[in-house]
Amino acid sequence: MATGAAQAWRISENGAIRASPAAVAVRNVTKSFPVTLSIAAWVRYRGAVPRRTVLHDVSFEVKHGELFGLLGPNGAGKTTLLKTLATLCIPETGQVVISGIDAAKQPMAVKEKIALCSSEERSFYFRLTARENLRFFGSLAGLFGGALEARISDVASLVDLSSALDRRYDTFSSGMRQRLAFARALLGDPDIIFFDEPTRAVDPLHARTLRTFIREELTSRRHKTVILATNSLEEAWGICDTVAIVHNGRIVAKGAPHVLDMEFTRCLRYRITLESAPPSLIETLERVSGVRRITLQEALNGVDLSVELEPDGHAVNSLLAALTASGVMVLGLRSENPQPLDVFAGLTHDGTN
Amino acid sequence: MFKRDAALALSYDWEFWSTWLGLVIQVLSFYFISRLIAPSPKYGFGGQAAGYFQFVAINLAFVRFQSTAVVCFQTAIRDDQLAGTMEAIMATPTSLPIIVLSRGLWAFTLTLMQVVVFLLMAVALGLNLTHVNLLSAATFTLLTIACMSPVGVMAAASIMIFKRGAASSFIMGGMTQLFGGVYFPVSTLPHVLQYVSWLMPITHALNGIRGAVHGATVVQLAPDAVWLAIAAIVLLPISLWSFSRAVERAKIDGSLGLY
Repeated sequence: MATGAAQAWRISENGAIRASPAAVAVRNVTKSFPVTLSIAAWVRYRGAVPRRTVLHDVSFEVKHGELFGLLGPNGAGKTTLLKTLATLCIPETGQVVISGIDAAKQPMAVKEKIALCSSEERSFYFRLTARENLRFFGSLAGLFGGALEARISDVASLVDLSSALDRRYDTFSSGMRQRLAFARALLGDPDIIFFDEPTRAVDPLHARTLRTFIREELTSRRHKTVILATNSLEEAWGICDTVAIVHNGRIVAKGAPHVLDMEFTRCLRYRITLESAPPSLIETLERVSGVRRITLQEALNGVDLSVELEPDGHAVNSLLAALTASGVMVLGLRSENPQPLDVFAGLTHDGTN
Repeated sequence: MFKRDAALALSYDWEFWSTWLGLVIQVLSFYFISRLIAPSPKYGFGGQAAGYFQFVAINLAFVRFQSTAVVCFQTAIRDDQLAGTMEAIMATPTSLPIIVLSRGLWAFTLTLMQVVVFLLMAVALGLNLTHVNLLSAATFTLLTIACMSPVGVMAAASIMIFKRGAASSFIMGGMTQLFGGVYFPVSTLPHVLQYVSWLMPITHALNGIRGAVHGATVVQLAPDAVWLAIAAIVLLPISLWSFSRAVERAKIDGSLGLY
């Protein structure tokens, strides 16, 4: 499937037919849930049960073939957003457009183009084999007979589950269960795949394998559009083309990881190698304007200072001047890339998570 | 759906085989009960006298279709909620009518097998099926399924919203026992309550089946057949509409995956 070949067309408000560059377009989506589902509450509030807003006016677009990350702490609204895209939740306001198709008006047409891969292990039938599970979900995806069996073999081979197809699901490890979820998502060969924390319950080695699969097999080779919800910084920064940081139901930042690093970094970090460090050096340097934190550790060729400075850029000059005035020999200065954690923490920390 | 439901049912082998044992116990129990009751025209068809076993065995066999219709759809929805597969199913491009109605395929197939086995055992114990009009019997079986399934789909809709709904099965089962003519003829009831019986689909279904067993044609059984057909035509679209609205409500409330 060539990149861009799945470009959608849409009719704009003035009737013109234009190419829609977005595989997924979310416009001003707001979603809330009732705080309780009991009949007693419904009677008490006369039908107007208080609601908790989970998504606030969310808007973003995902290009065809893009690997788009939704990064946020637990409870940020990532899963609700993915379920809204998968037509499992109906938003109060806003619009979801998948490949030019309005999800509210044509949900069945949208479902033919998407697949939702959840990390929820309970989404399979435990007492059935992997093959039986895939047969069932494959038939719901519109596959039957020989075509279904062939497709099952293909996806099982893709996720390295061919030898376990006739084992019951309840005998699978967490990693195998996640791979089966991948296989199910690929059965209908969807253009767009939503992954909801796919590496949450697997070991680090497996997690790396799954991430590589998403990045290299699905996005790079098969040109699928992928939206990946995760609370792993490593995952989002490591494989996503674009990351949207979700916090309290809002997208607080969006962009390529390196762009987010530059825009939102909370501090500058340097590693300075010294020939030696007198006992009072740390105390002296901590008094320099713009210095936030200094740690000192022994190194093979001297002493390493790890410093965190205010991001305004002037502090490093003041620090070097202070080192020179102290009579210390500076052997090396290295800038360390902003940590994703700094970006994430700066945008999401408000004491609620 | 059929293969999945069959595989799941057979995976719980103790439950599967114990229901067959229950079948044997039921037919034997009512056989011995019937030996205490004298034959009467009330138990026959068209004024002919018949034994109580001839009356009740047919009823017990075919009321299973109603029970299945009322229970299978809501059980299927509840099972998917508990298993966690509901959202995965709803995310597929399969229409809601197919998702819900196909849950009856295995259930009714199993019920048909149970009815056949029940009747074979009853024949061995003296049930007379030599005059059966097969076309009438098949017609009323299909009409019973078509008429009662919408009730089951509406029960499934309530499960989608309220997550538990044993009351509807209990109420329907109790009403059937009391007013449906299962254990005793409807004519035994006070005249006023016979109107309640007339309003119940199972009454017409069992009238038709008993008539079919005694050789009556579909034309002869037309009043009951027409009643069931009209009920099916009216109830089916209402039930599917109610189910789709229930799913929509669950999506608005975010309760699709809850149980």
